[in-house]
Formats: sequence, structure tokens, C-alpha cells
Amino acid sequence: MKRLMQRLAGGIALLALTVSAASAETFTLWVRSDGSNFMPRIVEAFNQSHEDKAELQIVPVAELVQKYATAAAGGAAPDALSLDLIYTPSFAAAGQLEDITDFAKSLPYFDKLSPAHVKTGTYKDRIYGLPYSADSSVLIWNKKLFRQAGLDPDKGPTNWAEIEAAAEKVAALGGDTKGFYFSGACGGCNIFTFTPLIWASGGDILTEDGSKATLDTPQMRDAIAFYRDMVKKGLVPEGARTDTGSNFFAAFARGNIGLAPSGAFAIGALNTQFPDIEYGVTFLPGKTGGWSSFAGGDNFVVTKGTTKLKAIKAFLDFSYSLEGQTLLARYGSLPVRGDISGEALKDLDPRYKIAAEAMEKGRTPYSVVFNDIINSMNSPWAQMVNEVFFGDDVDGSLANAQETMQGIIDSAPGN
Amino acid sequence: MSTTQAAGAIPRALARRRPIRRRQWAGLFFVLPAVALVVAFFVVPLAMTAWMSLHNWPLMGASRFIGLDNYLAIARDTRFWNALRFTALYTVVVTIAIFAAAFPLALFVEKPRPFGGFYRTAYFLPVVVGFASASLLWAWLLNVDAGLFSPAADALGLTDGRVNLLADFDPAFWSIIAMVVWKVAGFTMVILMTGLQSIPADYLEAAKIDGAGPWARFRRITLPLMRRTIALALILSVTGSMLAFDQFYIILGGGPRNQTVTAVYWIFNQSFVSFRLGYGAALSMVLLAILLVLSVIQLRLLRHPEGES
Repeated sequence: MKRLMQRLAGGIALLALTVSAASAETFTLWVRSDGSNFMPRIVEAFNQSHEDKAELQIVPVAELVQKYATAAAGGAAPDALSLDLIYTPSFAAAGQLEDITDFAKSLPYFDKLSPAHVKTGTYKDRIYGLPYSADSSVLIWNKKLFRQAGLDPDKGPTNWAEIEAAAEKVAALGGDTKGFYFSGACGGCNIFTFTPLIWASGGDILTEDGSKATLDTPQMRDAIAFYRDMVKKGLVPEGARTDTGSNFFAAFARGNIGLAPSGAFAIGALNTQFPDIEYGVTFLPGKTGGWSSFAGGDNFVVTKGTTKLKAIKAFLDFSYSLEGQTLLARYGSLPVRGDISGEALKDLDPRYKIAAEAMEKGRTPYSVVFNDIINSMNSPWAQMVNEVFFGDDVDGSLANAQETMQGIIDSAPGN
Repeated sequence: MSTTQAAGAIPRALARRRPIRRRQWAGLFFVLPAVALVVAFFVVPLAMTAWMSLHNWPLMGASRFIGLDNYLAIARDTRFWNALRFTALYTVVVTIAIFAAAFPLALFVEKPRPFGGFYRTAYFLPVVVGFASASLLWAWLLNVDAGLFSPAADALGLTDGRVNLLADFDPAFWSIIAMVVWKVAGFTMVILMTGLQSIPADYLEAAKIDGAGPWARFRRITLPLMRRTIALALILSVTGSMLAFDQFYIILGGGPRNQTVTAVYWIFNQSFVSFRLGYGAALSMVLLAILLVLSVIQLRLLRHPEGES
């Protein structure tokens, strides 16, 4: 009986093989260079186990959007793309993406996928992007410096006062050692690490649908005062003032910074590139407790009009399997499927669990002009954070940023 | 400019003597490759830019004809006018600084002296470095933590602690001016030098015999005879400065606090950060018009001095 079953199963498998061979598809896939660690492994595993194939191209992160847009204009766009999730609304608004609502809703684990990703992947109630990779913002601290400064190296701060007190003690060690670090001239870094402080205290910088900028809130002013105070006390290195993001990770990795808001990516990067740094990971707290996180990462989007939907769906399904999620977690991203993330992470550094939990409850601002108002180097947000952390006129800076941001939102396509 | 005038003068003189229709056709035939290149790489792109500027032309998605709406939006775009104001300030300051450095250098290297060739080469050397590479070099020199100037000044006891040169507008602005003068003065120097060399020595000698001092000779003979050369150097400097981008993008990133965003930087941002190609094209057309007007004014001022025809 067993033999018969085996033979039968073999026959069915053979049949399945011939059928799918007849209609095997190869789809092209682009990923930004941030995903160059995990994406090739997943594609390789997929290609080995499936008849359909994925053909991967890695694109430098700064060129991805231009390259994709020019390729699309020339009819040579890839079938699918793993895209920084904050771009999904603007790509969808441009009419560039395939509506994948039905496929998404047919997934049995759809409601377990990272909600922040799905929210940014949704435009006018249709779904255009599904979560692919994830990165959440967390607070990291240097255990060695904590020990030297007489602090408990195993206990991270749980509110702003504790952060400042710890930073002061570490900075008191003197020399090149400083208490706290942030990239003071980088809009993208600060939306990732500074807004969670505001969120955790009950404020927000945009309304839910992104139609109004709400910068001038008591929570924002408190958070600004918190950073300004640390700058005034000399707890932050002078270079922070002009760091446009190039030192975002490197400053902490040098080993002379007490605490720094950072991302889940830092866990993998520190473990592999700087194994000597002893560090802890905790949540980014609110003023008097609580915590929040920026849920970042990539959405998977499909180019409008592609004919390779079958292969793309198979690839997504594989990526969301335990095997796919485990590969993702092992090579530098957090899992995006909540119900199996614990299992995907079980053999990895336990500090990932904190980041995964932060991801699950993480938030992502929604805006079709996110790049314009927040992420780009000369955005009103980038200008504001530098002014309010280091300048003399907090009121003027807030008012100016509020007005400029609202102006950009109001003149956005679709408004 | 002087070459085109000379080239234009000869055929006109010939044309008066005999009919040369065939030769004109031959001439056209000879310049055809050049004309084709200009048409393909200048006229057509320019026309396309003008066409795009009348559209809502996103980097992705369909474009839509909107007439002059982009130009109306420019009128309200305070950030563009701020950028233009900054660009004008930069142009005035850097042009004065370049001439202030290049003129003495030209006077210095023009006269035969020992190691004259060495000095000329040394002053000209930064010119052959690309603007982007030079900017990267200075970005490092100016870095507060890993650079040269701040740590060196600190180590020599000139400053109390390290000064972040790029953190405030004034030091950042003057750092860029210093960098551009270092980079460009050599080029202006060579142009001015050729002008100086084209002045017949007899004039200066005669003036000397008539009792004119060095300052009078410089003001009454050298300067007026260099009018054309100065016009060339000035137009090149003003045009180049109005189009400044690399150094502000690479060294300052438009900072501190977006105070050094130039006109071209703003066009770049609109086109490739905000993906509004149509609007970027309209901004480019406006900048082109401004540059044309500026060049015409300079040519007028310097080509027809009072007293000459």
C-alpha cells in the first residue's frame, strides 16, 4: 500500500512537473541595494524549488526610482519591484502599479502581514503593495561604556529622563566619549528615530490620511526640548550637527557613544562587522514611558500590465512561507508575517525579538509626497530638525516647516 | 567671440568682389557636421525642454498639457526665488573673489621670470581636477571630525576646541568661496594672461617715457586694451557661477538649513527628487532667459565703451 502511494505520488509529481513546465514563467525582479543581502538568497531558494523563475537585479538605492521610472517609460520595467514602502503611495498615485487587492485578500495569512506595510501599500482603498522586508527603529546602548560609567549595563532606559541621565554619566567619562548620537542634518534618519519619541508620548506629525501636517504640538516641543538639552550639555558630538546620515550607524559602531536611536538593521551589522561592540537593544520610549517605533522596510509591488502574475504570486507565497521568512530574518531583515515571526527568529540573536515586537506595533506616516516633505535632503522636515535641535528660533522654524509642508501637500497631484 | 567676427569678416570681403553662390553652398556643406551636432544636442533638447515645460510631466505616469501653469507656479514659488537670490549673491561674491585672485596672478606669471612655467602650472593645476572630485576633496578637508582645517586649527591652538565650519551659513559660504577660487582662479588667470600678452609693449614703453606711473599705465592702457578679454572671463565666470551646483550639493547638501540651495540645485530637486520634470523644465527655461539677459548686458557694457563706436 505504501509503495503504491509512493508511486502514485511520484506520478502526480511528474504530471505536475510536465504541466507546469509547459507554462513555466520567468519574471524580472528589482530590489534596492539595501536588500542585496537577503534577496539573492530567497531568489536562489525559490528558483531551485519552483518551476517558475525569478530573475533578480540589484539597483543602487539612490537610483532606484529614476531607473524604474525611465525603464517604465521605455517599456522595460521589471515585472516586480521591492520598493521602500514610503514610496508606495506615490507610485500607486502615478498609476504605475498593478492592483493586487484580490490576490492579497486571498492569502490565508493576509491579516497577519505587517500592518504598517499594508497601510502604506493601500491607495484609495485598493492594495498595490505587500510587505516584503522590514526594519524598525529601536534604541541601542553600549554596555561597556555603561559599565564604566557605573550604570547597570543590562538595563536600558525606559523614558527620556533616564536616557538623558545615562548619557550624562557616559559623557562624564570624558575624552572622545559622548553620551548620545543622532544625525542632525538628516531628514530620513530623524523620521525613523525621532518621531517615535513623539508617537510614544501621544503626538503625531501628520494626520492619519496625510492631508494635514501637525508639527506644532506639545509632544513635539517636549521632544525638541529633550534633544536641545542634550546638545546644550555637550552630550552629543559636534559632528552630529552636519551629519547628513553618513554617520548614522558608524558613529555608534566606533564604540564611544553611550546611546543612539537606530534600527533593527544595526543588530545584524554590528554582529557581523563589529563583533567587539557589546550592546543592548530596547524600545524608543515616550517622555514618561510607553514606546513606539517607525515601521520601515520594503513593499513588494507589481508593474501595471505585467503578464507574469502567476510566477509573481508563487514567489510571494514562497517568500511568506516559513522557509522564506527564515531566510529573510537570517540575512538582515525582520520577518513581515506576524504569526510565524517567532519561529523564523528562534535561532537568531534574541535582540531581534525586541526589534520584531517594535515592528509589529510600529507606525509609518502615510503621504503621497513623503519624499518631498520628509525624506529628501532639502525637505522642510530635514531643515526643521536641524534648526530646532541646534538653532535659536524654535517657534519660527516650526511655523516655517508647518507652512512649507502644508504647501507641498496641498499642491500634490490628486489634491 | 573674436574668432567668429574674424571668420565672418573674410567671406563678406570676398563676396563684394565676385558672386560665389557655389562657394556658399560648399561652405554650408563643410559646416554641416557641426550644424547637425548642434541641432541634435542643443536645439532639439532645448525645444523638448520648452515643450515639456508646458506639461504636467511626472517622471512616472502620463503627461498632461497644462499651458503656462508651470510658469504661473514659478511666480509663486518662494523657495525658487530664494534659491535664485542666493545664487545671485554667490555669483557676485565669487566673481569678485576670482578676479581679485586671478588678476594679480596673471600680472605675476605674465612677465618672464625664473620658474615662471612652474608657477603657471601650479596655479592652473586645480582647474584640471573635475568639480565633483574637487568638491569631494574639500568635503573631507572641511569635515569637523576627520578633516584637516578644524582639527589642525584646534591642534595649533588657534581655536578653542574644534569648529564645525559647515554648521553655520557664514563659515560654510566662505569655505565654498575659497574652494571655488582655488579651483577656478587658474583658468581666469590664463585668459587674463593672454589678454595681457596681446598688448604691444610699445604702448607701455611710450607711456613710461611720457612719465606715466605704473598705476596710470595699468588703468589707462592695460585695462582698456583688455576689455574684450575681461568680457570673456567675466561672462564665463558669471555663467558658471549662476549654474553652480556640484560644490553645494556635494559639500553642503544645500545646508546648513537649506540656505545654500542654488537655482540649478532647486531644478534638480524638482525634477529628480519631486519627480516634476515639467516644472523642472519650466524652471530651466526661466534660468536660461535670466542667463541670456545677463550675458547681453555684460556684452553691451564691455563691448561699446564710451568714446568708441
